[in-house]
Amino acid sequence: MSGHSRDRKGSLRIVRPAAGGDETFIEIREDGAIDAFNGHVDLGTGIGTALTQIVAEELDVGFARVTIVLGDTSRTPNQGATIASETIQITAIPLRKAAAQARHFLLARAAARLELPVEQLSVIDGLIRGNDNRSVSYGELIAGDIIRLELADDVTVKTVDSYRIVGQSQPRIDLPAKATGELVYVHDMRVPGMLHGRVIRPPYAGVDAGDFIGNSLIAVDESSIAHIPGIVAVVTIGDFVGVVAGREENAVKAAEQLKVSWKPTPPIPDLKDIETALRANPSTPRVLLNKGNVDAAIAGAAKPIKRTYIWPYHMHASIGPSCALADVQSNGVRVWSGTQNPHILRVDLSFLLGLPEEQIDLIRMEAAGCYGRNCADDVTADAVLLSRAVGRPVRVQLTREQEHAWEPKGSAQLMDVNGGLDADGGVAAYDFQTRYPSNGAPTLALILTGIISPVPQISEMGDRTAIPPYDYDNMRIVAHDMPPIVRAAWLRGVSALPNTFAHESYIDELAREAKVDPIEYRLRYLRDPRAVDLVKAVAERGNWTPRPEWKPPENENDIVRGRGFAYALYVHSKFPGYGAAWSAWIADVAVNKATGDVAVTRVVAGQDSGLMINPDGVRHQIHGNVIQSVSRTLKEEVTFDSTGVTSREWGGYPIITFPEIPSIDVLMLPRNDQPPLGVGESASVPSAAAIANAIFDATGVRFRELPFTPERIKAGLQQAGVATPSLAPPEPARVATLTRSWLPSVATVGVAACAAMAMVWPWRAAIPPIATPDPSTYSATTIARGAQLAALGDCAVCHTGPSGIVNAGGRALETPFGIVYATNITPDRDTGIGAWSYPAFERAMRHGIHRDGKHLYPAFPYNHFTKTSDADLQALYAYLMVQTTVRAESPETKLAFPFNLRPLMAGWNAMFLTSGAMVSDPAQSAEWNRGAYLVESLGHCGACHSPRNALGAEQTGKAHLAGGVAEGWEAPPLTALSQAPIPWSENELYNYLRTGTSRYHGVAAGPMGPVVQQLANVPDSDIRAMATYLASMNDGVNSASEHALATRLETLTLDRSTTRGIAGERIFDGACAVCHAVGGPELFGARPSLALNTNVHSATPDNLIQVILHGIDKPVTSDLGYMPAFKGSLNDRQVADLIAYTRRQFAPDRPAWGDVEAAVARLRKAQVQH
Amino acid sequence: MTATLRLTVNGKSHDISAASDTPLIYVLRNDLELNSPKFGCGLGECGACTVIMDGVAARSCVIPVGGCTGREIVTLEGLGSRERTDPVQHAFIEEQAAQCGYCLNGMIMTAKALLMRNAHPNETEILEALRYNLCRCGAHVEIIRAVMRAASPERVAP
Repeated sequence: MSGHSRDRKGSLRIVRPAAGGDETFIEIREDGAIDAFNGHVDLGTGIGTALTQIVAEELDVGFARVTIVLGDTSRTPNQGATIASETIQITAIPLRKAAAQARHFLLARAAARLELPVEQLSVIDGLIRGNDNRSVSYGELIAGDIIRLELADDVTVKTVDSYRIVGQSQPRIDLPAKATGELVYVHDMRVPGMLHGRVIRPPYAGVDAGDFIGNSLIAVDESSIAHIPGIVAVVTIGDFVGVVAGREENAVKAAEQLKVSWKPTPPIPDLKDIETALRANPSTPRVLLNKGNVDAAIAGAAKPIKRTYIWPYHMHASIGPSCALADVQSNGVRVWSGTQNPHILRVDLSFLLGLPEEQIDLIRMEAAGCYGRNCADDVTADAVLLSRAVGRPVRVQLTREQEHAWEPKGSAQLMDVNGGLDADGGVAAYDFQTRYPSNGAPTLALILTGIISPVPQISEMGDRTAIPPYDYDNMRIVAHDMPPIVRAAWLRGVSALPNTFAHESYIDELAREAKVDPIEYRLRYLRDPRAVDLVKAVAERGNWTPRPEWKPPENENDIVRGRGFAYALYVHSKFPGYGAAWSAWIADVAVNKATGDVAVTRVVAGQDSGLMINPDGVRHQIHGNVIQSVSRTLKEEVTFDSTGVTSREWGGYPIITFPEIPSIDVLMLPRNDQPPLGVGESASVPSAAAIANAIFDATGVRFRELPFTPERIKAGLQQAGVATPSLAPPEPARVATLTRSWLPSVATVGVAACAAMAMVWPWRAAIPPIATPDPSTYSATTIARGAQLAALGDCAVCHTGPSGIVNAGGRALETPFGIVYATNITPDRDTGIGAWSYPAFERAMRHGIHRDGKHLYPAFPYNHFTKTSDADLQALYAYLMVQTTVRAESPETKLAFPFNLRPLMAGWNAMFLTSGAMVSDPAQSAEWNRGAYLVESLGHCGACHSPRNALGAEQTGKAHLAGGVAEGWEAPPLTALSQAPIPWSENELYNYLRTGTSRYHGVAAGPMGPVVQQLANVPDSDIRAMATYLASMNDGVNSASEHALATRLETLTLDRSTTRGIAGERIFDGACAVCHAVGGPELFGARPSLALNTNVHSATPDNLIQVILHGIDKPVTSDLGYMPAFKGSLNDRQVADLIAYTRRQFAPDRPAWGDVEAAVARLRKAQVQH
Repeated sequence: MTATLRLTVNGKSHDISAASDTPLIYVLRNDLELNSPKFGCGLGECGACTVIMDGVAARSCVIPVGGCTGREIVTLEGLGSRERTDPVQHAFIEEQAAQCGYCLNGMIMTAKALLMRNAHPNETEILEALRYNLCRCGAHVEIIRAVMRAASPERVAP
């Protein structure tokens, strides 16, 4: 079924016969309802509203009576892909004719019924009225009949002067539902029994050509996701891998955690150097125009000028990752998709499934704007494969990272222009060559499954607007057709945008050389009268002042301002193609000569769109095109490494934000007498050249490669000698990352120390087991006290393992000597401490000896617990003995030689264990002494926060609490050695320990999070006492000074003059600033201030790396909010860049960290091994 | 690991059976069929998933549902319906402030949260409040006008 072929009683249909049956354009029913069908789809541009207007106009009915149906393969005509601004210009034509034909038919029928000539009839909202005031409605004329009319060619449509609906601004039909959450996007589609799927893409991110494609998968380890509930299937076909689960979050987890091994991927060409890569890409020249004698003219030019312009890879960058729902059943396939080419995609799906097209019903739903070919088709095919595998409907959404990595990119492009000026300052010749490595990007599943060969097709799409709009006497235009280098397809403006960047930059360069105003110079060569009218109108609207000669503008501090002009007629579709709307820009820019920042402050965008169906719709399209193309010109550039795309989230691929939006003045020429033209792309086309020309006007420096980022502009201005000397201080001295205190050469030192250690009481006696004490022997007060002490001592933090059962042991604790497994400390007789008498417990706590006599490893901090008072130890024992009994064997700790010899610990104890109770300091307050006791005994802060010696013993003296490590995190110094930019005060220590956050320091994360969570059970007075003791080691300041210092430090971070444009800044802005920028928006959760954060100021970057890679998924309290993990979104280099930026911007007085990338790799790997 | 969690959404209480580390967005969309929060990035970068939680804008893709119990959650559906729009929704419709509309939920919810704490923001405050809500279609001009209209209906020319 390729068209809507059902004949319904009481209906009038206008159809076009097709191979698979009739294709319907208009259907009017006896109840007066009208459906209109168009094979194109609404990509979010409001085209549905404009088409509705056209139908309502030609039918003479109210706008609200028409329902537009777009794209469904079983209902709408096959009119190809929604591309190239063709909908209004081309596919709306049969629709308009069909509506007009229906109206003529109904008028004729009414004339017969009312026995009046047609001339004496008028139509208002579907009611035909005679001049004698009798009337009959469309519905009445159709009632009971089945009327099928074939679409005629020669239909008279209405004249423009009679329009009442077309040409008037009409609010969009879809917005009320969108603004209330009622519109069902493809993402929101649900059917009974639906499952959720996710795909796992190969490592060759965004590459779709090469013989490794489709055969790089080595293995999938399904056991790696066995712990995730509700997994229905793991599907692998060639390099296609997907998972299906009952709940979406489980599909997400499974896709993240599924272990998949891949063969190494061969490197792609270096796309940091686009010019070299594109010149090296094999190509076939195609001459589009050859006029005059180009070679002779160049040879004879008075001033030859040869230029190269470079366009980077861009993304469509849809805000919503693509999504689809498929239901593959034996009796037919239903697919809900956001595709821009439903009928073409159905052919692909038929190929993928080996089923006839007629068995596939593709329903097109609204989706996130795509601006060309994004992953909408790919995900539809993914959903089809997963649904086929499980026999149930499956919804699949891509991740942000997959959409970024795999969407077919808007291609890089290389434009060479040779030519120059003749003796009169005219254009001697224009020899233009363009390279556009792109095609239509085959649907990914077809390639990954090996159904089609991964040999890249070559398509001829580099020729859009390749011929400039200027009538140069000697002109040669060549498109070098070439295959893609990475996956690429059309993006708004296609190759016309880059081609126009070259045409309009070059003519500007010529005008400046000829010392003629750039607009005047263009007008000398522009023959098209509508183009001339538009250029003049825009110049007038923008108050263009002729600028025949470049003069340096006045500086306002470092800011220089300029304006530039560019014009284009967007030529689309197969060469020679059609012109869409004419467009011209005046762009005003402000350039900061010190930082390289370019702000586009104002754009005058003029357009001749012919007849505008919906003028407000046209205006919004112009706004959208201006904003998106300013974004592309100033900010956007896909990054790659040797395996593929590395821009995988909005920090790696930043787009324009609200504060960067220019003021936009839209000029729409009234051309109602001319046919309507596509407006979806035209206003983008002059963008880059207008901005480049404006930057030249401001600075006298010509930029020929996008994007115009601060670093590129700054470098260009410096090279030209016109940059303001940077105020940046010299690069801070780089220092090596501090070596952690207990890592070096432990093995060798250990062996050397063995002999000495072995001499001291290597064996201890077992203490006989006892009957587990009766819980009733302990008072509630004692047990409650014990619970507090257990919380203070964080027993549960280490003694709770992967099972999550409190104190049942099994947690792996990494030490430099190997992994030590924490034991079960519930009162289970066999696997826990149920058979331990108090003396056995006390011996373990004070001396590190197991009940059975063997030595415990000092990962158990008995060197602290030994200081605990008898009363507290007894309470703790009571509490532990009344816990719920859990039988759980802990894994056996097996350290490598010599550390596997537990008796050696006796020697260790002799050397490093100081037994005995705390001695109070009479010179200090009672509160201080209480704090000292809590910190140094059960609190065992030093276990993490003191450095350890080569044998794993805490260092003492000045090194006490001077900073250590815990589970791959730095435990910062608690003493005056603290790197915190604001010294810790008693109040802030209290706030931090009590709430997990301090305004002047940050939030507790990593291993410290659970510690603070445990402290929630400790009374306020004890928290205050610990704060008092710890504060006494610091030169804390009062709260007024803290506030003043914080304000000063935070204000400093608002100045980016020394960091503008350095790698990592963009990632910070896109990924981090939303929660961490000073003065940023109010959002749920804490806003940790990086200028004050200890980790940013530390001697090592470890904690910053940890928190960026792994986020904070278990904050101390949910009020603090959560931080996402970026390990799946940023690579090691990107994390390192981000950290380098963060350090320089937020801790400007600290030296750069050394070799951050290696540290990122190390900590990422450490996590994987867990 | 699956637990029953009590959530208050749009004034109604719901008992949800889900793992507590499930991002809130999936529970809202799949268990409560509230489609307005859209999955955009899963990293809190783009704002398409924004809801209002305890009176402030919250990015539901990075907040586990376990952290949402005992809180008041409001989604776009909770602001108003087509028949009965909230003033902010009304202003967005009047100004035609969307193209594809995928980001629209986040724009309206962020604007609503802004206006709840600052009824009359100036343009700079509006731009800063929306800085981290991304729109790819380029509907920014209309969105800014919509927030201005919602903030001060009397100041916007008809």
